[in-house]
Amino acid sequence: MIKNHAEPVSSPLASAGKNFSQSQRRRTVLYAAAGLFSLLGLADSIYLTIQHITGQSVRCTIVAGCSEVLSSSYATFGGIPLAMIGAAAYFCVFSLSTLAAFGYRSAGHLMTLVVGLMFVVTLWLFYLQAFVIRHFCQFCLLSAATTVLLSVVVILIWRMRR
Amino acid sequence: MKRLLPFIIILAVLAAAVGTVLYMKRSATQASTPAPSAMPRPSVVASSDPGADVVASSDPGADPPHALGPPDAPAQLEEFGDFECPPCGLVHPILQTMEKEFGARLRIIFREFPLTPTHQHALAAAHAAESAGMQGKFWEMHDLLYENQKAWHDAFDVRPIFEDYAKRIGLDVERYKLDLASEVVERRIFLDMKRGHSVGVKGTPTIFLNGREVPFESLPADKLREVIKAELSRPHP
Repeated sequence: MIKNHAEPVSSPLASAGKNFSQSQRRRTVLYAAAGLFSLLGLADSIYLTIQHITGQSVRCTIVAGCSEVLSSSYATFGGIPLAMIGAAAYFCVFSLSTLAAFGYRSAGHLMTLVVGLMFVVTLWLFYLQAFVIRHFCQFCLLSAATTVLLSVVVILIWRMRR
Repeated sequence: MKRLLPFIIILAVLAAAVGTVLYMKRSATQASTPAPSAMPRPSVVASSDPGADVVASSDPGADPPHALGPPDAPAQLEEFGDFECPPCGLVHPILQTMEKEFGARLRIIFREFPLTPTHQHALAAAHAAESAGMQGKFWEMHDLLYENQKAWHDAFDVRPIFEDYAKRIGLDVERYKLDLASEVVERRIFLDMKRGHSVGVKGTPTIFLNGREVPFESLPADKLREVIKAELSRPHP
């Protein structure tokens, strides 16, 4: 009996194509995850921005250092609330991850850069909370955790590209 | 359509984010801004004032209030504060500066608004200040509490610290200790908080100048000075 030469699985080219498609799908899933994490960070930053603008005391329910952290001199940068800068960064990551999920490759590269920068800033802010202000704010810790998750996603995407 | 989809998603999220900020900012402002005449301005709130009903309906707070400056000062500043709240501690020296600069043209009223249970010692601090007030030394205790906020903030038991402050300002400590648990002190704090809630105070410090809330971003000394000057230059009835 003659085998069907057109059978896709047996062809190396088709196999490579299938692998590529699977890898593409995984990347899309990872970009979608990055989009979701950045939405979480965006919501957190928006909450803190509104509390800052309206001058409300932020209530910490898990740790008890929100007032100390958010009223410190480190809560603003050049007169702009740090939370607002964070919101802009998370929105930027959301936009880039969405574009990357839809196949815009350069958006993915740019997202890697932005998340890398956010990770460095997060480390600095964590240091300030731990050793300078000596208090932790749960909303800032949530933002730090979100940035760490985004960094993990970026590393996974980067490893898939190699 | 597929090419446009990511941009549509991004724009939708942007619109939702901006909408949320505007909506929450608006509701926060509405909730914390009383009607223009919702403050006690004994010499200003006349029967001809269209908002007089609002004044009547808002709770008066503890009487007499803790106030610095003449009752008929053209600028009446009312602060709702919490001794354990760090931003209140930052505003404290600013208000002292304003008091010196504007003299008899400014009256500063302090209202208790301890944020419990967020600030574990806020209520105890309010009791300490009110007990000192029973011996006519409210402002001395008020200043000590704010100036040493960081020293007692993390303490497990603040009672000996506050008793030490009581000694330092020359109070009869035994009477101070009795007053701490007195109904008068309890009631004054309750009445101030009731007033705070009735005018929509949500956090501290919340400051009203002649019935209008001073936005938090206007509390740095240079900005607050301008706000008070603008208020003084307004024609008052």
